[in-house]
Formats: sequence, structure tokens, C-alpha cells
Amino acid sequence: MSGADILLQPGVLPRLLQGLWVTVWIAAVSVGACIPVGLLVGWLMTLRNPVVRFLMRIYLDFIRIMPQLALLFLAYYGFARWFDWNLDATGACVLVFILWGGAELGDLVRGALQSIPEIQSESAYVLGLSDWQSFVHVILPQALRRLLPASVNLATRIVKTTSLAVLLGVVEVIKVGQQIIDANRFQYPNGTLWIYGVIFFMYFIVCWPLSIVARRLEKRWAND
Amino acid sequence: MTEQNGDAAALSVRHLAKQYANANKRVLDDVSFEVPKGRVLVVVGPSGSGKSTLLRAIAGLEPIQGGDIALGGEVIETGRPGSEKAGRSARSSELRTRIGMVFQSYDLFPNKTVLGNIMMAPVLVLGRDKAEVEREAIELLKRVGLADRKDAWPHELSGGQRQRIAICRALILHPEVLLFDEITAALDPEMVREVLDVMIGLARAGQTMVIVTHEMRFARAIADEVMLLEDGRIIERCDDPERFFTQPETERARQFLRTFEFERAGHDKP
Repeated sequence: MSGADILLQPGVLPRLLQGLWVTVWIAAVSVGACIPVGLLVGWLMTLRNPVVRFLMRIYLDFIRIMPQLALLFLAYYGFARWFDWNLDATGACVLVFILWGGAELGDLVRGALQSIPEIQSESAYVLGLSDWQSFVHVILPQALRRLLPASVNLATRIVKTTSLAVLLGVVEVIKVGQQIIDANRFQYPNGTLWIYGVIFFMYFIVCWPLSIVARRLEKRWAND
Repeated sequence: MTEQNGDAAALSVRHLAKQYANANKRVLDDVSFEVPKGRVLVVVGPSGSGKSTLLRAIAGLEPIQGGDIALGGEVIETGRPGSEKAGRSARSSELRTRIGMVFQSYDLFPNKTVLGNIMMAPVLVLGRDKAEVEREAIELLKRVGLADRKDAWPHELSGGQRQRIAICRALILHPEVLLFDEITAALDPEMVREVLDVMIGLARAGQTMVIVTHEMRFARAIADEVMLLEDGRIIERCDDPERFFTQPETERARQFLRTFEFERAGHDKP
């Protein structure tokens, strides 16, 4: 019997799609919540207040230095013990990805905001715009343009990193794949490659459009 | 033109002192002058003399540590000792619209079209009617010969076109004083002329202006008064530009003007 037949077993593809849905859900919620967090963190990082800057520095460095897996375990096991806050595995994943994505996006936002030449806000000031009007109508739109390609890349990274959720026992697409492989070990000994092949394809389908969007925007905004 | 403060100069600067943080020398030291309504003051001087800083201080971009600045007789800025790190002036938006400024580096907003750039401040700051502002913007664009580029984006324009748009963007607020900070210094020679012509047109129309420039022939053509600045001090002031450029009073001015003259370079015979 060929390994590819495993895919035709009743329930295999629907179960993989269900797993994919969990992956996409975790990624989408995390990315969605990252955006306001990242904008806020990025804005805070540009402030001159030394206390705010210091706190943001610690936040960013802590998140960057810790492996995402360690963060996941901290959130899943640590929170329950220290704060008596029993997060379920999916919740812990979403929380960690928001904190991680928020820090990374925040740093991108900071870089983008600081890359806008001073003369832009000076022109806005001389024209009488308030600080807020200058931020909303002049600085932020320009920063977002510079930010978009890199932040789409970050979104792809978040989608891929959701696979770590397996280790907390979340039944997302990889876990489903493992379960199917285990259950059919004797019947389809060559099924492994096919299942992981399908999973590869699913990740590709989710991430590829993001890459295309990023490349398009990069090209369109290259000339200014 | 309505004359509220009949005798008051459009702009007067008195005993202006400016110092940067961590510097023990003043960039502007006891600078005083007046620009009567409808007149053009040209400020010249070697680089680092404080010309740009002077304009930036008038526009509120730099805190001043002494003296004051008045607009139409009304004091809008008073120097405060120890304010080196204070950042931009806290003057009101309305007050800022009364002084226009065009910078050396291209400063159009790249995220807005030509019309978007020009219309932004009158609509956002003064709350004027959009359609009416657009009509006026197009009139201004016609004046500088760029009406056909109203929907273009800044990156599609040449340096000279951008500077002419920047002038329109300042003009639409009807500023009482317009400041120009070496606005042709970064332009290719062929583009300098089109920008300078626009400024000469403004001078004819009675716009009060303070111009910092290195174009001495242009200065001679447009100035009602010339001021030579060095090391933050006024070296010479002259309300007769012809005289300043041919027979300046001070030795320093003669020396400065000579740096713009060239003698025929003869070749040594081999």
C-alpha cells in the first residue's frame, strides 16, 4: 500500500484542516492584538522620559533573550503557580505571542518613527499643526509605509512559531499530524512524509500571500 | 491692507541671544533688527555664522535665552535664560501660521500629493472650507507655474518644483512674514532660477520676507536691506544693497564679498 493513500483515509484531511484552523486562530489573534501593543510600545520607546525608556528596554531585551519556548513554559506553568492564574494552553500561547510580537513590532515601530527626518515634524510645526495632528497626518503615515514590509515578515514568523504550541499540548496542525501518523503507523509506515508534506503545504498557503503582499508593498513604496 | 499697528514693523527682533546646550559660546549674540511691512531683508554671512539659527528661532523651532521677537508690534517670544534644552516654542498654532518658513532640504510631506501638501494646514489648523482652499491652492500653483502638477506626488517632482510647492504651502496661510533658509542651496543650477524668480515675484507683490542666501547677485536684486552676520553678531547692516555690494563699510564685509569674486586665471606659458 502506498504512503499517499493515508491522505485518503476518512477523516484525515478534515482533521488536518481543523488543526490548521487552530494554528491560524492562534496566529490571527496574536497578530491582531500585536498591532496596538506594538504601536503603543514603539511610541513609548521614542519618548524622552528615562524611566519609560528603561522599562521598555528591559521588556524588549527580556523577550529577545528568552527562547520563545521558555516564555511559553513560563506563561503556562509559572503563571498558575505564582499568580494563581490558570491559563489554558491556547491562552498561554496567545499571551506569549502577543508579548513577543508586541516587543518585536514595537522595536520596528520605534525604528520607523525615528527614521522620519526631523524636518518633517519641523515643517508641520511651522505650518501650525499640533503635535497630535503632526503625528497622525505626517509622521505616522510615513512610518507605516516603512514599517509594513518588515511587520509582514514578523507576522509570518509568528505563524510559524505557533508550532511550538505543540509542546504545551495544544492540538494544532502539527499535533494532529503526529496523531494521525501514530494511529496509522502499522497500516501506512510511509505515511509520515505525506502528512508532513501536507502540513508544509498548509503553512505555505497561509504564509505565502503574506510574503507576496510584503514584496508588492516594498516595490510600490520603494520610490520615495 | 489694514493697518492695526500703523508704525510697528512686521517683524522686530531685539537683543536676541541664543546658546546651545553644552556650548559656552553664543550662536546669536545681541542681534537686533526690524523688517518693515512689505520689505525684504537678506541675511548673508559665512557658514556657521548663525543665519539659519536666527530664522529657526524666529519660527519657534529653537528656544532663545535672551531678548525678544515681535510680530506686528506684539511680542510673541521672550528669551529665558537656561532654556537651552527646552525644545520648540510653545507658541499657539494660530501664531505659528502667521510666520511661514521654507527650508533648504526638501520638506514636502511625501505621503500627500501637491494639493494635499498645500491644503493641509489651512484645512486642519484654520478650519477653512475645503473647496475654497482648493481654489486658492490652484491659484497659487498657477502663480508658480505648476498648476498642471496639482495631483503629482512629491517624489515625481524636481527639486526646483518641490521648492516652489513648498513656497505655495507657506503662502496659503497668508503669513505676515516669510522666512527662506537657503532654499536654493541644494538645487541644480538650472533650477535655482525658477525658484528665485518666484521669490522676486513675491517681493514685488509686497510680501515681507527674511531671506538667507549665498546667491549674492540674487541678494543684490531682491534686498531692501542687507545684513552681514558672523559668529552670531551683526557685522554690518545696510538699507542700500547697491552700496553694500560695491562699497561696504566694514573691512570684514569687503573680505566676505571678495570670496564670491573670481579673477581670470591666466595660464603659465610652458
